[in-house]
Amino acid sequence: MKASNVRVCVLRIEGTNCEEESYQAFRRLGAKPEKVHLKQLTGADVTNEEKRSLDDYHILVLPGGFSAGDYVRAGAIFAARMKSKLARDLEDFVKDGKPVLGICNGFQILVETGLLPAMSGVMSEYPEAVLGTNDSARFECRPTLLKKVNRGSCVFTSRISLDKVSLIPSAHAEGKLMFPLDKSKAVLKHLEDNDQIVFKYVDPEGRLAGYPWCPNGSTASIAGICNRDGNVFGLMPHPERVFFRFTHPDWTRESDGPGDGRAVFESVIDYVTKKL
Amino acid sequence: MSTDKLYIPRDVPFELAEIDLEHASDDQLKEISDESGTALALDEMRRIRDHFKDKGRNPTDVELQSIGQAWSEHCCYKSSKIYLKQYVFGIDTPQVIDRGDAGVMEFDRDHAYALRIESHNHPSAVEPYGGAATGIGGIIRDVLCMGAQPIALVDPLFFGPLDYPVEKLQAGIKHPKYLLGGIVAGIRDYGNRVGLPTVSGGLWFDESYVGNCLVNVGCIGVGEKKNIRRNAVKGPGDELILVGGMTGRDGIHGVTFASAVLTKESETESRGAVQLGDPIMKEPVIHALLEANERRLVNGMKDLGGGGLSCVVGEIALAGGCGAEVDLGKVPLKEEGLAPWEIWVSESQERMMLSVSPKNVEEVLHIFKVWDVPATPVGKVIREKVVRLFFQGEKVFDLDLEFLTAGPIYCRPCGIERSKKDVSERTPKAKDRYDKELLRLLASPNVCSKEWVIRQYDHEVRGATVIKPLHGKLGHSSHGDAAVLKPIEDSFRGLAIATASNPFAVGIDPYRGGKTCVDEMCRNLVSVGARPHSFTNCLNFGNPEKPDRLWLFREAVRGIGEVAAALMIPTPSGNVSFYNESPGGAVLPTPTLLGCGIARDIRRCVTSDLKREGNTLAMIGSTKPEMGGSEYYRLTRGRSSKVPDVDIPVLKAGMDVVLGGIDRGAILSCHDISDGGLAVAVAEMCVGGDIGVDADISKMERFRTDVRLFSESNSRWLVELRKGKEKLLPKDRRVRVVKLGTIGGHNLTLRSNKKVIDLEVAALEDRFTSTLWRMLG
Repeated sequence: MKASNVRVCVLRIEGTNCEEESYQAFRRLGAKPEKVHLKQLTGADVTNEEKRSLDDYHILVLPGGFSAGDYVRAGAIFAARMKSKLARDLEDFVKDGKPVLGICNGFQILVETGLLPAMSGVMSEYPEAVLGTNDSARFECRPTLLKKVNRGSCVFTSRISLDKVSLIPSAHAEGKLMFPLDKSKAVLKHLEDNDQIVFKYVDPEGRLAGYPWCPNGSTASIAGICNRDGNVFGLMPHPERVFFRFTHPDWTRESDGPGDGRAVFESVIDYVTKKL
Repeated sequence: MSTDKLYIPRDVPFELAEIDLEHASDDQLKEISDESGTALALDEMRRIRDHFKDKGRNPTDVELQSIGQAWSEHCCYKSSKIYLKQYVFGIDTPQVIDRGDAGVMEFDRDHAYALRIESHNHPSAVEPYGGAATGIGGIIRDVLCMGAQPIALVDPLFFGPLDYPVEKLQAGIKHPKYLLGGIVAGIRDYGNRVGLPTVSGGLWFDESYVGNCLVNVGCIGVGEKKNIRRNAVKGPGDELILVGGMTGRDGIHGVTFASAVLTKESETESRGAVQLGDPIMKEPVIHALLEANERRLVNGMKDLGGGGLSCVVGEIALAGGCGAEVDLGKVPLKEEGLAPWEIWVSESQERMMLSVSPKNVEEVLHIFKVWDVPATPVGKVIREKVVRLFFQGEKVFDLDLEFLTAGPIYCRPCGIERSKKDVSERTPKAKDRYDKELLRLLASPNVCSKEWVIRQYDHEVRGATVIKPLHGKLGHSSHGDAAVLKPIEDSFRGLAIATASNPFAVGIDPYRGGKTCVDEMCRNLVSVGARPHSFTNCLNFGNPEKPDRLWLFREAVRGIGEVAAALMIPTPSGNVSFYNESPGGAVLPTPTLLGCGIARDIRRCVTSDLKREGNTLAMIGSTKPEMGGSEYYRLTRGRSSKVPDVDIPVLKAGMDVVLGGIDRGAILSCHDISDGGLAVAVAEMCVGGDIGVDADISKMERFRTDVRLFSESNSRWLVELRKGKEKLLPKDRRVRVVKLGTIGGHNLTLRSNKKVIDLEVAALEDRFTSTLWRMLG
């Protein structure tokens, strides 16, 4: 398949607010993204011309933002609305090997939906993890450095070499990945064994980091995880904000090359064009 | 004398009264004004009485309320207009596209940008979280209703000292720390949720703000020129569609509350004047409205701000040369039982009015339905220039628009210049070393790093913030002078945004202080490589009915206008906030400027952090002994009436030298010299770059060492020159360029024969970055 035939569904509801830059990231690489309201998939209140089916797309993107205000647990409302009407469609989408990307609020939604970490099967009935309030109890907008630790399963990071450190900035108040406390260690081992951990927060020396380089206090400094097949990927930091070098926070110090986030989008388009 | 008999209830199943103004005495007129909460002056009440006498009937309560809104200082600028006209309205360039709720300027051939800043001071002083949040909501609507996509927020804030003793607080006044926490949280939670980056702003601290903090909020938007709309109806027959939030009792009398001084009762009496914001209503309103507009379904739109429906209906209709009829019964309500006058003047948030041709109404309603945003046709545009209101079939309002919108314009008495001898001069003792002074300046709340605030705001959402509010090597950061956005996907043209204010200088010499504010705004924009293009202002002053306060206002506006006119920088929108007083007195006169500049190619923009060892540090501009209002004098209790002046031709030439230097690649880093003077500016550049400087200040003008170090003279920049490219810096005989020294090492060393300052950069960084964390936790 050619990149120009790759159809990307950038899904949104009220309060989703990073859809434009997520849309642009795919458009810049020649794919065919479309901003789609959840109601266009569920069919409520929309005309026939506005109706869409998840099946029409090759990639599903859940962008960042504060969907429905995040006044209850972040991502919970979007997840509930989506799961109540589209659970089957979502499962089929993932089973077909089609990639799903959740950035920031999108990651929170994937966890609330049960599509991540999805320890067994495609989508768990209940969330198996949570993205809790940052240790600082504050919204944190700051540069973060992510080390790729995924050994090859994740289809969103094939263009990033193992152990490479990428600058991908964070901006969230609830990004602390946590598992049920009584089995946290076991879950962690399970994720490592299944190559489900993708990015970890590190400091400028490349060491696993505490605050502020890990802005939220996440378990084992985890910034992003994928499912066992590697086609569902969620991360708190925003790769779409560093598509170009000139949106890096320190680009005026050395301004060469593409932005560090671009490789995420290139990787998944690679995957779709070769495998689907 | 009771006024009871003057209210004549009409026999209808809802609350409606006619008011017998004709038989009211002067005292009763004043009392009616007080009882209605409209704050109309006696003269104004008399004018209303005479108008209705001519019509041969009494006004209804709805009509009187409406006039109260329209004629408030907040809505009609009755005390300020005369001076704004004289000094700033005339500045015009071909790039000015519109002066509506927000100003609109040309960005490039196909695009325009919109800008506006306004105050939300009184609501924030009473209810900091909600007040600040709704301030953001309101300013976004001002930009949105021009047809522009909002792309950035700006928020300069002014508070009393964070360590102000609690026992000194007067009744009803909230502690600055509580106010700051609530206001920052309000801006954060609204701005982050609605998905707009907060890219610029500032924090100022002074005792005069204890009783009346200032919260100014600005917004910038961008749109294709073909999508820009006027705040006007197209013509008779247009349907008026009210979209967004529902109408309730929150925010009643917001404008009249804003047009009076705060008292200790404000807390209990006026809390109902503070609206409730809902960013998750606003966010889909933005999508739906822009979509309807891009599909050319909307003829004009306007936001419901101060005065609510009562202001928007008349203004949008009259701007199109028409009038309107509205059925108040159709307005969706939050609760049952609102009287017609309450519906008419409520300032409930997240509402906008659209004027739509009948054939497009259904399509517009559908777009809003998909986004779950209420949209309701409430009225029709008519040919006559009158507004008529109906409620449950009863006509409750029938007013000529020319009368309603022709608020009074005053030429209030203006005090004569204060005599110079009021300010006694006191010069601090000269010293050999100034290490301690520099460290104290870096740690002072007005100068110190604002990272504590900045990182709570998302400044990168939308992915277009190219130059961010914090500059520096990873892990180190210092303040930038301006933010730069790249608003158009397939263009490298940048929009620079900077905030400027200097209440300390304005307080001592408002004319020079006003000039200084414009100079600072220009310096900030030029520092990143952008040419100043337009600005908008929020003028926060005391009670204009007091001649000395009005004099401060006039002089500041005169200063601002003089520099802006000479540089041909138009101000297509603006806002005046008077009555910033509490029982403790007036705030420092505080004009806040939001400047926009154009960077032709964002890839050429520079930041303030020092880059490379071995490069030269140079100062552009001349230093003078102008220490009045300086951070250094305030720290050392020095006093001087001599605040920095602006030599306009020198400012112009200096801007060209810096912009030319950046464009030709000679300048790698640039920082303007402002609060704390040269010493603080160079320290900030060192902190951002995590590298030292060894400089000799004896090459500067021959003044005392502390003047050289800490003077805040205008039109000056510090630049890092790229090795081998120094000669590319343009030359101009009016602009002094002093090569001060070399970048490198771990220390900031400033010499004048002997060392006058020698400090490790790590120590500077520690002082600079720790203050707010220590005070706010």
